[in-house]
Amino acid sequence: MTKEKKELLKKEIIITGFGGQGIVLAGRILGKAASLCDHKESTLIQSYGPEARGGACSADVIISSRPIYYPYIKSPDILACMSQSGFEKFIGSLKKGGQLLIDQDLVKPVDVAGDFFSIPATLMAEELGRTMMANIIMVGFITAITEVISLKASRDTVTGSVPKGTEEMNLTAFSKGYNYGLALLKSRHKKAVGKTGA
Amino acid sequence: MTDLNIIVFLCNWGPHAAYQALQDNASRIPVEVDMVRIPCSGRISKALLLKPFEMGADGVLLIGCKSGTCHYGTGTLTALKNVEDTRDILGLLGLRKDRLRLAMFLPDESEELLCFLTDFYNDIKAAGKSPAASDPKEEMLAEVSDPVTQIVAAHDVYACQDCGKCSSACPLALSGKPFSPWAMANAIIMGRIDSPAVQKDIWSCLTCGICYERCPSAVNLPEFVRDIRHFLKKKGASNRYEAHGGFFQSLMRTMTSKALKFKRWDWLPDDIQIDPESKVLFFGGCAPYFDVFFRNHLGIQTSDIIIDSLKLLNFFDINPALLNDERCCGHDLIWSGDKENFLRLAKLNVEAIQDMGIEELVTTCPECYWTLAHDYPANGIEINFKVTHIYDLLEREIDKGAVGFKEFDHNLTFQDPCRLSRFEHRSELPGKLLNRLNPKAFKEMQDSGTGAVCCGNCAWIGCDSFSKALQVKRIRQAHDTGSDILVTACPKCLIHLSCGMEDPFLGKELKMEMMDLVSIMAKTIQWE
Repeated sequence: MTKEKKELLKKEIIITGFGGQGIVLAGRILGKAASLCDHKESTLIQSYGPEARGGACSADVIISSRPIYYPYIKSPDILACMSQSGFEKFIGSLKKGGQLLIDQDLVKPVDVAGDFFSIPATLMAEELGRTMMANIIMVGFITAITEVISLKASRDTVTGSVPKGTEEMNLTAFSKGYNYGLALLKSRHKKAVGKTGA
Repeated sequence: MTDLNIIVFLCNWGPHAAYQALQDNASRIPVEVDMVRIPCSGRISKALLLKPFEMGADGVLLIGCKSGTCHYGTGTLTALKNVEDTRDILGLLGLRKDRLRLAMFLPDESEELLCFLTDFYNDIKAAGKSPAASDPKEEMLAEVSDPVTQIVAAHDVYACQDCGKCSSACPLALSGKPFSPWAMANAIIMGRIDSPAVQKDIWSCLTCGICYERCPSAVNLPEFVRDIRHFLKKKGASNRYEAHGGFFQSLMRTMTSKALKFKRWDWLPDDIQIDPESKVLFFGGCAPYFDVFFRNHLGIQTSDIIIDSLKLLNFFDINPALLNDERCCGHDLIWSGDKENFLRLAKLNVEAIQDMGIEELVTTCPECYWTLAHDYPANGIEINFKVTHIYDLLEREIDKGAVGFKEFDHNLTFQDPCRLSRFEHRSELPGKLLNRLNPKAFKEMQDSGTGAVCCGNCAWIGCDSFSKALQVKRIRQAHDTGSDILVTACPKCLIHLSCGMEDPFLGKELKMEMMDLVSIMAKTIQWE
C-alpha cells in the first residue's frame, strides 16, 4: 500500500469529448471514487457552456494523496479522449510519458509520440443498447489501465452516481470497459513475452 | 490352484494341434488357463479381446498361426493390429499391457507352447489379480425400473396426437428406414412392447431429439426410449445392437472398477500448462480411447480436441487441474440402457472430483457436458461443482476484448452437436464463436441449428445401412454449401461423419476435411 501511495502522489486527469457524452459525470465519478472511497483528495473542474450543446467539453480531475491547492491542469498525466476536437485541443499538453486513452472510433490519433490505449467504447455501448453509457465504459477502462482509483471505489461510485434503476445496466457497461482494459494489458504483456497465439 | 483367470483364444488350425498334443501327453497346462477354440485369430475383435477383462479375467492370450501359415491368409495380420490396439487401451486404463499377449505357433511346436503358457501364467501370477477384476463391484441397483405403463405415464406419452411430425423430421425415417417414433410409442402404449418391430426399433432410435423438438405435445421421446431400453436391459435384452461388437460398452463397464489406476494423460504435450492445485478442472472425455480404437480404420485424432481446448485455456492464463482417474462420464451407458453401470461411473467420477475440491468443471465434449450437468443430478448423483461448457468460458473471455482471430483461408460449414443444440437449446453458442472466426466464408447447411441432422449414431448402438444413408445425405448437404472444411463440435460427430465418408461405393466423392471448432480457434486465436 505504501508503495502504491508514493507512486500515486498526484495524478492529473483530463477527460474530454462532446457535450452530452457524460464527460463531466465520468470526471465526477473518478473524483468521488478517489475522495469518498479511496480516501484521497480530489478536485474537479468542469469546462462547459456552449459546449453543452455539442461542442468540445472537458473535465479536469486531480487525485492526490495530499491537499490540492490549485485545481486547474496545465499538463495532464492522463488524457482520455472521446472526440477528435478534444484530442486535438489537449494532445499537445499531455505530460511526457503520460497515458493517452481514446475511443478508437471517435478519435484518430495523429502525431502521437508514445504508446496509447484505445477502446471501442461507443460501439460497445451501442451493442449494450445505450450509446449514453459510453462514458461509464470509459470509466471502467480508465480504472483498469491507469489504476488511479481502485476497482471497488470505482464500481461503488458508478452505482451511486447513475440514475436510479439503471445501476445494473451501468455496472454491466463498467465491467465491459474494465475487462477490456485488463484484456488489453494482458494482450500487451503476452505480446511482450512473444506469446501471441494459443 | 490360485484364483487367477486366464483366457486363451486358440486358433483352430496350427496352435490347436499343438495344444491337443499337450493334452494327449497329459502335459501340465496351468489349471487356471481356460481355452476357447476359435476359427482364426483374425476373427477375435478388439471387443472380444477386451470383454474378458470386463468380466474379470487377469490375463488374455490370443494364439494364432505363424505368419505365412494362416489358413485364411490375413488372419494373423489382423490379429496383430487388434492386439496392439487393445493393449494400448489397456495401458490407458492403467492395466498392464502384458496382461494381453499375442503369440503364434506351428502345429508341431507343442513344447514351445507349453513353455509360453507357463511363462505367461507365472507373469500374471507375479502381477497379481487384475485391478479391473479384484474389485468386488458394489451392488448398486438403479431403483427398480417401473413397469412399462409407469414409464409411459412418467413421460406422458399419452399426449401423443399421432400427428406424425416426429416421423416427418426423424432422420432415420427420412433415410428410408421403416421406422416411426410415434408408431413405436403407440405400440408400447398398446402393450405390444414384445413385438418384433418394437424390440428392433427401440435400439435404432438415435435419441437425437429432433422429434422432441418438433412434438406439439412435448413428448420427450429420447428420454422415453432411454427408460424403455433400461427396462428391456433389465429383462435381459440381447446386446446384438451394440456397434463395434460392444467394445465401448465393455470399455465403460471395465472402468466401473474402483481399483483401476488410470494412465490417461501421459500423452499430453509438455507445453500444456496444468496446475494440480487449481479449483478448475478440465474434463477431457474418451477421445484418447477413440483414437487408439480407430487408428487403423479412420485415423482420426480426437485427442487434438483435448489438446486444443487446453491450449485455449492456457491462452487465457487458465491452467486447469486434470483428474488422473477420470472415467467415462457414462453417457453411452445410460443411453444404451445400462443405468446401473452408469450410476457406478457417475458415483466414482463425482467422488474423485469432489475429493480434489473442484469448484468448476470445464469440458469440451457436449455429451460429457450434458451428462455431468443434467443426467448426474437427475439420477440422484448430487454435484457440488459448476459444470461449464468450454464455449461459454471462451465466449466470456473473448468478449472481454483485445482478442482476435487470424485469417483462416477456408470455407466453413458447421455440424451442430445434438446434446448442445437441441437438448441444451444453445445452438447460438457455437454460432457466436463461429462468427468471431475469420474464415474466407461461412455457410450453414440446409438443416442447421436445432433442426440439424444427426451425425448418424449415438451411444454406439443401432448402426446399420440406414445410418450410412443418413450420413451420406448429411455429408452431401455439407458439400452443397461449397465449403472445404466441415467444422464439428463433438468427437462423436467427427468419428461418425468420417466413417460416413468411407463409403466404398461413392469412393472419394464424399471426402471432406473436418476440424473441431476448438482446433480452428486454437490455430487462429491471437492477442490484438
